[in-house]
Amino acid sequence: MGDDGILDLFTAAAERAEAESGEPPADGGALPSVPGDPPHEGAVAQSPPPRPAEPEPDVLSVSELNSAVRRVVEDAFAILWVGGEIGNWKRAGSGHCYFTLKDDRAEVRCVMWRGEASRLPMDPEDGMEVRLHAQPTVYEARGSYQLVVRKLEAAGEEGLWRLAFEKLRARLQEEGLLAPERKRALPRFPRTVGVVTSTTGAALRDILSVLQRRAPWTRVLVLGARMQGDGAAQEIAEAVRTLGSRPDVDVLIVGRGGGSMEDLWAFNEEPVARAIVDCPVPVVSAVGHEVDVTISDLVADLRAPTPSAAAEAVVRDGATLRRQLGEVQLRLRRALKASVDLRRRRIADAPRRLAQALQARTRPLELRVESVGVRLVRSTELLIAERRRRTQVLDRLERAMVGQIRRLRSDFGTVAGRLEALSPLATLKRGYAIPLDPDGGVLRRRTDFAEVDRFQLRVSDGRIACRVEDILDEEA
Amino acid sequence: MPDKHEMEPGLEERLRRLEEILAALESDELELEVSLSLFEEGVRHIREAEKTLSAATLRVEEVLSGGQTQPLDSEAGQE
Repeated sequence: MGDDGILDLFTAAAERAEAESGEPPADGGALPSVPGDPPHEGAVAQSPPPRPAEPEPDVLSVSELNSAVRRVVEDAFAILWVGGEIGNWKRAGSGHCYFTLKDDRAEVRCVMWRGEASRLPMDPEDGMEVRLHAQPTVYEARGSYQLVVRKLEAAGEEGLWRLAFEKLRARLQEEGLLAPERKRALPRFPRTVGVVTSTTGAALRDILSVLQRRAPWTRVLVLGARMQGDGAAQEIAEAVRTLGSRPDVDVLIVGRGGGSMEDLWAFNEEPVARAIVDCPVPVVSAVGHEVDVTISDLVADLRAPTPSAAAEAVVRDGATLRRQLGEVQLRLRRALKASVDLRRRRIADAPRRLAQALQARTRPLELRVESVGVRLVRSTELLIAERRRRTQVLDRLERAMVGQIRRLRSDFGTVAGRLEALSPLATLKRGYAIPLDPDGGVLRRRTDFAEVDRFQLRVSDGRIACRVEDILDEEA
Repeated sequence: MPDKHEMEPGLEERLRRLEEILAALESDELELEVSLSLFEEGVRHIREAEKTLSAATLRVEEVLSGGQTQPLDSEAGQE
């Protein structure tokens, strides 16, 4: 930049000052005064003296000039927003960053000091559309105009942060570290809860108050770490490693209260993500409020919307637990009682069941005996009936016989009388005799006597032996 | 410190054991002797668990750089 350039700049600044104040310059074409620089005030502010009268001009050193120009520039421009495209981004060993901002026709040198640059989530890429919150100034050593950048934002809201977030997320996803199946279940009843947070923050207060209310039997191990600013991510990661590897820690809460995306940024950095991924015990991440999702939330085993919610998630509520214990006790008693009752019933039942069993065994036999008995009885009855029938028959027979006999007997009397009349004995009594042969046969004719020598004569009161003397003729 | 803490079974173990005991008592045909001893063990676990639950104040310790811990002297939890 030559002298003309500097003068142009001065002129431009003067014109701006004039335009702003609405007053014409004190002297046509004169330079404006440089405030706060008394030694040169007169020299610069006064109208140039007529050349012939003053042969010796005041000569400024380059440093004086550049310093003056810087003051003018800085006075003329408040800090402002300027948009453009990033080029030649360079992060020096000192931590300061240098680059150019350009559009299609012009460019301007930019510097971002270490303090601001370290808060960037990532280095912007060349060609990236950004806007800068910057102070125009002059680098006195080179006499070059440049922007001192306070803030650099990629286009869109939280552009650069969002971009860095997405890049890390994509990388972790590719490694499979965001997979749902990686999530571990939290212990149901942790004895010791590790907490990584700021020891002075509201988050710790919230966590402890929830734990105290719900599960005061819990032991809490706190490892403080800075939650934001330079090196916060490293501190958090280290604390997670330290607490997570303690054998007495059952579960870990990592988190902080709400803040800007920049405040929460440590939880979007890779060291923290790696520490959480590697942690031997389950990790609950609770960063900011509901709406803030960080990389920590994504890699943790559980994402809690707030620190209080994280505390709620890691412990069971004492009242619920006591109720559960009561139920368990009731069930225990019931189960034992049921088991005793069952046996008591069995013992009480034993005789009946024994009898039943026995009966089951003897029943068929009994049936058989029964049927045999029945048959026996039946046949006996039949016999008796038969006998009875027979007896009756006999009785009737006897009675009939007796009657018959009686009748016969009575008949006999009359018949006997008649028989008497008819009897040969009666005839014999009347004087007749019957000759009988030795065999008892009646000798009726002469010829009958011719057959025998001796015969008997039956008379009314006995027999007489007789001998045939002679057989006489008929009618002799 | 953590030593005594490690010896005794914690709530987790006790409740798991209680569930086992209940499952055995409620489903299995156990010897009366076994049922009784399981019941007694269960009651013991319940008592101990209740004792644990009755703790009044959270123990909050800070982890020091050497790995030791010390009570966190802050009123953080006592809001």
